[in-house]
Amino acid sequence: MIEPVSTAAAIDQRGEPALELRHLHRFFGRLKAVDDVSFKAWPGQVMGFIGPNGAGKTTSMRILATLDTPTAGDAFVCGYSVVDDPDKVRRYLGFMPDSFGKYANMNVVEYLDFYARAYGMRDAQRRDAIEHVLVFTELRKLADKAINTLSKGMSQRLGLGRCLIHDPQVMILDEPAAGLDPRARVELRELIRLLATEMKKTVLISSHILTELGEICDSAAIIEAGQILAHGTVDEIQRKQHGGSTELTRARSLQVRIAAGDDTQSRMLGLEKWLLEQPLINLVQCAGAAAIFDFEGNDEDQQRLLQNLIAAGHPVIEFYGKTQSLEDAFMNITKGITQ
Amino acid sequence: MSAGDKFFHLADYLTDRLNPILVKETRQALKSRQFIITFMLLLTVAWLISVFGTVWYGPAIEYGSAGRAFFVAYYYVIGFASLFVVPFGSFRSMLNERDHNTYELLSISTLSPRQIVNGKLLSSMVQVFIYYSAIAPFIAFTSLLQGFDLAMVTLFLVAGLLWSFFVSMVALMLSTLSSNRQWQAINTIGMIGLLLWQMSAAFGMSAVGLSESIPFDSEEFWWVLVSLLVGAGSFFLLAQQIAISRLTFESDNRSSGIRIICTLQFWLLWGGVWAYAYHYGTVAVDEDVIAACATMSSIHWLVAGLVFSTEPDHVSRRVRRNVSRLGAIRFLLAPWLPGGRRGLLFTTIHLLMLAIVVRLGSWDLWVQDMVTAAALYVFIYVAIGSAIGRLGQMVTPEFRPAHARVLTILIGALGMIAPYLPAAFGFTRWSNGYSLGEFANPGRTLIIISETAYVSGSHNKATVHDVLLILIAIAGVALLINLKAMYQGFSEMLSWKPVNAAESASVPAED
Repeated sequence: MIEPVSTAAAIDQRGEPALELRHLHRFFGRLKAVDDVSFKAWPGQVMGFIGPNGAGKTTSMRILATLDTPTAGDAFVCGYSVVDDPDKVRRYLGFMPDSFGKYANMNVVEYLDFYARAYGMRDAQRRDAIEHVLVFTELRKLADKAINTLSKGMSQRLGLGRCLIHDPQVMILDEPAAGLDPRARVELRELIRLLATEMKKTVLISSHILTELGEICDSAAIIEAGQILAHGTVDEIQRKQHGGSTELTRARSLQVRIAAGDDTQSRMLGLEKWLLEQPLINLVQCAGAAAIFDFEGNDEDQQRLLQNLIAAGHPVIEFYGKTQSLEDAFMNITKGITQ
Repeated sequence: MSAGDKFFHLADYLTDRLNPILVKETRQALKSRQFIITFMLLLTVAWLISVFGTVWYGPAIEYGSAGRAFFVAYYYVIGFASLFVVPFGSFRSMLNERDHNTYELLSISTLSPRQIVNGKLLSSMVQVFIYYSAIAPFIAFTSLLQGFDLAMVTLFLVAGLLWSFFVSMVALMLSTLSSNRQWQAINTIGMIGLLLWQMSAAFGMSAVGLSESIPFDSEEFWWVLVSLLVGAGSFFLLAQQIAISRLTFESDNRSSGIRIICTLQFWLLWGGVWAYAYHYGTVAVDEDVIAACATMSSIHWLVAGLVFSTEPDHVSRRVRRNVSRLGAIRFLLAPWLPGGRRGLLFTTIHLLMLAIVVRLGSWDLWVQDMVTAAALYVFIYVAIGSAIGRLGQMVTPEFRPAHARVLTILIGALGMIAPYLPAAFGFTRWSNGYSLGEFANPGRTLIIISETAYVSGSHNKATVHDVLLILIAIAGVALLINLKAMYQGFSEMLSWKPVNAAESASVPAED
């Protein structure tokens, strides 16, 4: 059974961060691809790095992977600077780019064998590492298959396996689920989840599929136009949208669904009118037989509201707090700025 | 454990000690269509040569000198594989890494750029050895024929092998020069042309060499052979170092290795000249040879100087960290460390050395004047390039070293044609004689200086004296313009402090 990903609160944040971006800048001429980006990720954390196309995610990731150098600032992997000690960073880092090439005339085992050798592994250590990766990525049965005949899903598994071959402490995955079918996406998601739970890796992952990221990430950094708009746990990001308040009385989104029937429309009109008359309620939106609204009360107020709804004769069949997803947070925080 | 298992374990153990790129590339090459086709083609053509050659010679094969003719034919067959197919494969190998997006994954492994370059080169060497082993039985066949000369055959096979390694290294170096795909297409076409040209040149020279007897007992032959080997070896190292530098991470030292090899080449050339002069006396070294060597050195320092003196001046923390903390050592090493200011220092010191080395010999005055003039020209152009580079960077950070180099070349070209523009536009008459205004044309001026060796020269030594004075004056101005920068090149080194971690976020990395 797969264990749930540890929450950020459970992560020991007192030690050295596994990953740190410190006032990172990367300019291409006048284009500020990355503009003063700073955040940290701790061991065992899965961090989502989200932003629209051209926001600076890939540039930041490439700097972390020692494929590019910052114009100013620095980034650290397990305490080593990507500018000063790229060779040391490479020992602790596995990078999976959004698209990676495959060699011709090579099978799965030869591919992994090459990278194991490239990371200085010898003899039994190399053979064990290849075996471990083949088992983890479930590529054992495809070991002798030519890599350029692998499906997209299997190729992504192979890419993940390549990242893991030297057992890095930090993994950077740039759009690993792009172009995968739903099954392959779910399988890859489970593998990434295992990286954090079983192998205790720090994972920085970017993806456009925010619903999936929300399920595996315990923290996120939202970037737009080269700047970090929000970062922290998903909960912290949501709180920041409401002025940073951590009070229980902060606005929460509630949803009420009533029994549908011939007179649904008139019932909904009555419900909307009733809701608007109540204190602590704002922004009522009705769709079909459901109404969504912002509620500024606490748990007791919410309990009283439900009692009053039923007492007022509304045929309530569902009443629940609508949790804000990472996608909602992303849409609320970003402004759609492109560079 | 069976014998087979033991063999595979031993092979595994041995390959673990080899360069990973070599293992990978060899595995790939042995499975590749290109290798199999080339190998089969080589065998087929060699076999056809043997069959048709034997038929064509008929009974004459018993008493004629067929051995040499057969060897020449086989030599051309192996030459095509080792001088065209393998170097081109070497060139494409690196380009394919970039085209197929595999290079980035390779570069973030713990393999060093040197391991990557050497691995690619070694895999080319393995292929050449395989092709040589394929042709070996046919060469053995020629040894049974009349006219077979073992010493000559050995010399040509070894020379072909070494030339193949050299060309493969140069091809590999050229493949690292451009990462832009459009340029890569042009480079590939250029590479094919270059390889065909060098192959036909090598075949032409081999044909001449094979038609004559090799003077193994002549001392001059060995001097020439050793000089060629040392020269080619130094350019091999240079190509290797350039390729390594191109693949080296941006914050690392990309310059010092190339500078060291440039210095080595310079001293190898002049060390060779002085060794010959010491052995046979300076009289034995013809002035024309000195002039040719000085011209080569000047071109060498012009190219190297333009590259080094236009480098960005910022030196990364990583480079600084790796330099000795002793001020005296930093002072001595300064010219070999990265940065345009130190690049100009580096070039200036070597140009001074060039002038001194020639002055030390008791060669004719015209040689000394020519070398002085050549060194002054190189200094002036390199100093102009350096100043343009610094000025450009002050104006806009978009100004790149390549811009400074191109501008300097344009200024040089303009200088060469400027003296003739008034006549070209009809303001003055064309003159066959040399005027002082032509000092801006280095080629013409150096030829004129060399002509003072002959009484029939079209000018007198006073003209040469005047030209040298003009050049000294211009070089003095160029020195004044760059003096502060050159001083900073040294002083920066002496004032470097140990790197501390707090700098990490505040010091911008190179752009």
